[in-house]
Amino acid sequence: MKTDLQNSTQANGRRYWRSLDELADTPEFKDWLHREFPKGASEFTDDVSRRHFLKIMSASFAFAGLAMAGAGCRRPEEKLEPFGKQPEDYVFGKSEYFATAMPTRNGAIPLVVKSYEGRPIKIEGNSLFPGGNGGTDRYAQASILNLYDPDRARHFKQDGKIVSRDEALKFLDDLSAKFSANQGEGLAFLAESSTSPSRARLQKIIAHKFPKSKWFTYDAIDSGIHQRAATQAFGQSVKPIFNFDKAKVILSLDCDFLGGEDDAHNHIRKFAAGRKAGDGMSRLYAIESLFTLTGANADHRLRVPASLVGAVAGAIATDLFPLPPNVDPNWIFECAKDLGANRGSVLVVAGQRQPIEVHLMAYAMNANLGAIGNTITLIPTEENSETDLQSFDPNATDTLIILGGNPAYNLNWSTKPKAVVRLGYYEDESSEKSDWNFPAAHYLESWGDAKTSDETIVPVQPLIQPLFGGLTELEFLARIAGESQTNAHEIVRATFDGSDENWKKFLFNGFQSIQSANSTDVNKNVTLSKIQRNFTFSASSLEVIFYRDSKVDDGRYANNGWMQELPDPVTKITWDNAILVSRKTARELGVANGDVVEISLNGKKVSGPIWTQPGMSDYSLGLALGYGRERAGRVGTGVGFNAYKIFSGKYIETGATIKKTGETHLIATTQSHWSMEGRPAVREANLEDFSKDQKFAQEMHSMEPPIVKSLYPNPLDEAKKTALHQWGMVVDLSACVGCATCVVACQSENNIPIVGKDQVNRGREMHWMRIDRYYTADPKTEKFPASFVKDDDQQFSEWIDDVQAVNQPVMCQMCENAPCENVCPVNATVHDNEGLNVMAYNRCIGTRYCSNNCPYKVRHFNFLDYNKRPLKDLKGPLYPTPVLHETDGQWDLARWWKNRDVGMRPDDEWDLIKMSKNPDVTVRMRGVMEKCTYCTQRIEQAKISQKVKAGASDNVRLKESEGTIPKTACQQACPAQAIMFGDVSDPDSAVSKLKTQPQNYALLGDLLTKPRTSYLARIRNPNPKMPDYHAPFSTEEYEERGGQFETEKKI
Amino acid sequence: MPETATQPESLAPPAELKRSPNIIGQRGLGYLTDKLTAFNEGKTPRWWWVMFFPAAFCATVVLPGMLIYQISTGVGVWGNNHPVMWGWDIINFVWWVGVAHAGTLISAMLFLTRQHWRTAIGRAAEAMTVFAVMMAGLYPGIHVGRAWFDWFMFPIPTSNGLWPQFRSPLMWDVFAVNTYLIVSITFWYMGLIPDLALLRDRAKTRTKKFAYGLFALGWTGSARHWHNYEKAYVVLSGLCTLLVFTVSSIVGMDFATAQIAGWHATIFPLYFVVGAVYCGFGMVLVLLIPLRKLLHLENIITMRHMDRICKLTLLSSLAITYIYLMEYFIAWYSGDPYERWVFSHRLLGTTYWYGGWIMLVVNFLMAQLLWFKRVRYNLKLVFVLAILINIGMWFERFTIIVGSLYQDFLPANWGFYKQTWVDVGTFVGTLGVFFMMYLLFIRFVPMIAVSEVKGITPEADPHHPLGGAKGEKP
Repeated sequence: MKTDLQNSTQANGRRYWRSLDELADTPEFKDWLHREFPKGASEFTDDVSRRHFLKIMSASFAFAGLAMAGAGCRRPEEKLEPFGKQPEDYVFGKSEYFATAMPTRNGAIPLVVKSYEGRPIKIEGNSLFPGGNGGTDRYAQASILNLYDPDRARHFKQDGKIVSRDEALKFLDDLSAKFSANQGEGLAFLAESSTSPSRARLQKIIAHKFPKSKWFTYDAIDSGIHQRAATQAFGQSVKPIFNFDKAKVILSLDCDFLGGEDDAHNHIRKFAAGRKAGDGMSRLYAIESLFTLTGANADHRLRVPASLVGAVAGAIATDLFPLPPNVDPNWIFECAKDLGANRGSVLVVAGQRQPIEVHLMAYAMNANLGAIGNTITLIPTEENSETDLQSFDPNATDTLIILGGNPAYNLNWSTKPKAVVRLGYYEDESSEKSDWNFPAAHYLESWGDAKTSDETIVPVQPLIQPLFGGLTELEFLARIAGESQTNAHEIVRATFDGSDENWKKFLFNGFQSIQSANSTDVNKNVTLSKIQRNFTFSASSLEVIFYRDSKVDDGRYANNGWMQELPDPVTKITWDNAILVSRKTARELGVANGDVVEISLNGKKVSGPIWTQPGMSDYSLGLALGYGRERAGRVGTGVGFNAYKIFSGKYIETGATIKKTGETHLIATTQSHWSMEGRPAVREANLEDFSKDQKFAQEMHSMEPPIVKSLYPNPLDEAKKTALHQWGMVVDLSACVGCATCVVACQSENNIPIVGKDQVNRGREMHWMRIDRYYTADPKTEKFPASFVKDDDQQFSEWIDDVQAVNQPVMCQMCENAPCENVCPVNATVHDNEGLNVMAYNRCIGTRYCSNNCPYKVRHFNFLDYNKRPLKDLKGPLYPTPVLHETDGQWDLARWWKNRDVGMRPDDEWDLIKMSKNPDVTVRMRGVMEKCTYCTQRIEQAKISQKVKAGASDNVRLKESEGTIPKTACQQACPAQAIMFGDVSDPDSAVSKLKTQPQNYALLGDLLTKPRTSYLARIRNPNPKMPDYHAPFSTEEYEERGGQFETEKKI
Repeated sequence: MPETATQPESLAPPAELKRSPNIIGQRGLGYLTDKLTAFNEGKTPRWWWVMFFPAAFCATVVLPGMLIYQISTGVGVWGNNHPVMWGWDIINFVWWVGVAHAGTLISAMLFLTRQHWRTAIGRAAEAMTVFAVMMAGLYPGIHVGRAWFDWFMFPIPTSNGLWPQFRSPLMWDVFAVNTYLIVSITFWYMGLIPDLALLRDRAKTRTKKFAYGLFALGWTGSARHWHNYEKAYVVLSGLCTLLVFTVSSIVGMDFATAQIAGWHATIFPLYFVVGAVYCGFGMVLVLLIPLRKLLHLENIITMRHMDRICKLTLLSSLAITYIYLMEYFIAWYSGDPYERWVFSHRLLGTTYWYGGWIMLVVNFLMAQLLWFKRVRYNLKLVFVLAILINIGMWFERFTIIVGSLYQDFLPANWGFYKQTWVDVGTFVGTLGVFFMMYLLFIRFVPMIAVSEVKGITPEADPHHPLGGAKGEKP
């Protein structure tokens, strides 16, 4: 023992020992130390140890990178500048964030993309961007799925045959040489519009090098009209920026600025900022034909055919214009008065689909009402100098270069030039008609640059090497131009005017901060132009409105399953487009929902199913573009009908006729019941009434039976005392416009599978959060048996003619007294001490009792293996069973026996699907229940980082004041900042403060579920002088059905 | 020789008090033994095979096929959806539990109340209970999303330290149904022992002798055996009687503890007990009416028996009607808009109105026909009524489950429910198993408890002129 003790003192300095055994350094203690880890861990002598495996893997990653760089001689080592939380060293399993941007037609959305072990997995808006709040739009959120689309163009092809990359590149060089000899005679470019300064630079080089070449810019859905109209109105090249936040009165002339317009996420952000209940709250008048999100959020909505919007606008602007029939002159008069009374803080916006005359009228009104410089900022911009597509002559064209787009689908392309060379993202309709096909890189694979709508330059940084070796537009153009530098990174760097330091900062921040767009002085005397106003409509002469789909855009997201399955924000239709008509029109035409009809317009015909849309103007047909793809891929092919067949570039056409075909088509919606049935789900008040009775929302509960005190104490009350945080959420229904960006963001973050049309029709969609949309109507128009009308017969009810729409995002309400928990027989869903209702997927056996007992129905069940089944195997009622099914030529049970990880998806699909999944979130198998978790993975990550930061100190609590509270995916994506998440045990947190607002209420709170998610009632701001001034219809319905306002019953 | 010649005139009861005997025909005990075991010992008749083959096909081909398909593919092959997460699976579970109940009620409760007429139908009803509980127990096991983890529901001490959740009514179900199954099998089997011994003693082949002997557990009919038997029978009857009330109460609590409007009612435990008994009497009638004919047992299962079952059916119909009315009344009286919505849509709604009407018309109106003796004595009509009662009770469960789930609190969630071919196939499969097992039961053991029936013959009554005690009188 003595010697042992001596041994132990040999160490230098002060030494601590944990036990006398250690001090003695006995063999037993050594063995105990050795055994500290689980049994067998120290004996683990597999040839490939975990450490070794990681070594090999990291080396092979490096080699793979080298090999790729070497083989293609593509790009030298390029540095990606990580955003914000830059780790000192790369840590496996720790995500990194990079700034980039998604180019759009007339702008770009600055983004921060989460990258996990080299693959991008989640897109978020760049919250550092000046004026931005980190919000994005649906398209940006969904675009990441396109990256992992198994149907992407994967090969270089000549006449349909795969050629090597080198051969294909050599062809481009030859092409360049050929045309530089004849100055580009017969060379034409057809490109989608872009705001990239580098592309503009290359375009100039090409124009210089091939002076006889022609450049056409084509967008199936053109949003450039705002700029063109402003330029024409003010006589100089300017671009308008609409400051909805500064406007007190907004008049929308068929302008769906919250939905279908370009840059909607910016509009939503600014609009929501101006809609705070209180004195400065803005008022929105909407004159429109389709029922759009803007109309749904309007305080006053006038439904008129889109062709007459200009005439109505004219009548508002000046009484020289005669009123179109069926329009209440008082409406016009009071609206005009309201506009006039708010000079300087008025904003009139005209819709993208409206002709330029309406836009010019809007500018004239803006100019006269002092909006220019206040609610509209005009910023100088470069004028587009492209040739008009009308002058494109295929016969005179020797070689047509197509950059992106899908002209064979959305342009009526009859004759084909001699040679067509295309850079395309998909092997689609246009690939068939092209001689050479080059796979394009996704923007997350590309170096590039772009300008946002306010002309700020943003970088497009790649997050990953092109998965299938695709080319970027810049590389492609540089090769055709015969540039010596064909590296996209170098091209962008050369375009960027600044030092290396600035370049780094540019990439790091994700935008160029020095340049801020200044408004420009313009001649503000805009005269009213002529507006055609002699239209009469009837069932035999209908108006057709072509609109940008809120899901597939112009067809580019047709193969994106998230987008196809996203319910349309207004109609809630998934996996289809439909011919939207009003009730009256449908009755006069003798058609009902689902009837397939043939529309004839100017001699062209297309067939599609009818859908009766409440609030539509009579005699108008609404046709969403972008569907009916013939070659989109395994998701999008054959979904919907192709409205481009009768589209000629004009978004509003007249003189259409309809013929019944006798067929019917099933339309799958996620919400079959339209009315709220007088239940106080969404609670609303007019601003006036709200200022009188601030607590109205909390008083709308008296229909319920008296509340009794619970017999048992809630165990959470005990846990609350010791827990570090208590999570909660508030959704502001005044701010939420219903754009559904959150739904896609949630799907992306939480690995939510798509289920296909058949399953949606069976009511089995998996969205963890949904947006409930109710139509509310004046109770006087609702006849008594309204509640006993079949959902299919709602379309025949008269009350749907003039409706208000309300939106309500519903995710797990995280009830403190959760009804789902006590019914689970296996404890698979339980409460944690921070107030989260958590799911243990591994424990869940799928009795589905929890979902039955959830009053909010936010739980979703994996009825089939939605992750492992391809879409085609999700069609009932005869689903292929693995017992009899083969995948990739192998019996499924045998495959399963070898590898439990495989499903019924072919390998090419499965590999990419796997890459798109967020590794922080479990991918659920069939037979388990799942639901919103408040993004528990983000909470846990934040807690872990805080613990690391705290070290030995006990400063492990996340605090809003320190900015350590994470954002949920829906909250992060919301451009309106309608969703607030945080710690409700911190009285200073934003969420706690919102919960003390008088209009805060709990959804179905009378069930005593004590939800942690609460809602701020929606405040409307209608003009009391308007003829259609009303209490919100939902409130009237509530009262009509016997609902009262009573002060809260105390328990 | 006239048997009643020696009976003194004065001992005969007055004509208005004269009851029709429980066993008519006045035959000897040996005759009864022959009669009751004839079907087990005789040649299998053709009608048995005709019934057996379709039932066996459903049991051995259809049901396994459906289960393999469903478990390998997912619950999605059924019509269940969001918001109607329970459909035919739970409807049929509740229905089968209900079918089971009358058996226990007849054999245990009527035993305790010394209703001698029960002896003729007790065993047949008990067998129905056993097989129906088996079918009921199948559903919760297979309706879950991951049937291979069913063992999570049992309190098994595993290393993960997880325990089932005892607050969940589904957990109570697990115990209730398993207890019911075990007790009812025990009860049924115990009652069989004297008859198994009888068959053993009468067996003509060695195999039969061995097989019946094995299950007869060495019964010799000694007084000690009988003494123990009677004691155990009383104890088990008591236990079974409790189960009549508890099992369906617990199944009812699956609904009562949930907060869905239409489920959330304290009346449910009683509601389900009464419904179960009612449905069970229906099934007893469905089974007995043809069997007494086919097995030529009209003298033992007499019209008086059928009449009494009909009366009990009528009684339970009135009880359930009261509960229906109470449900509607409370829905209106509570003023709860959700309750009112659900109940008004049960009858006036556009989607599942037929369920509500079938339930009212069949379970209330049609059953009132049983007030009439002419109806009760018309067995063909009673048979049709009994089948309708079973259908009506199935629709009651449909209305409660689907009719409450499809339109709950938030109108945005509302949906619809439609069963698929797999739902139907699985149900047909369970019907097949039930009838197959029942046919095997009547083929191999006496459908009527021989020893018990002998106990209620006039000869067994010590006060009867021909009774056993007669000779001992001085």
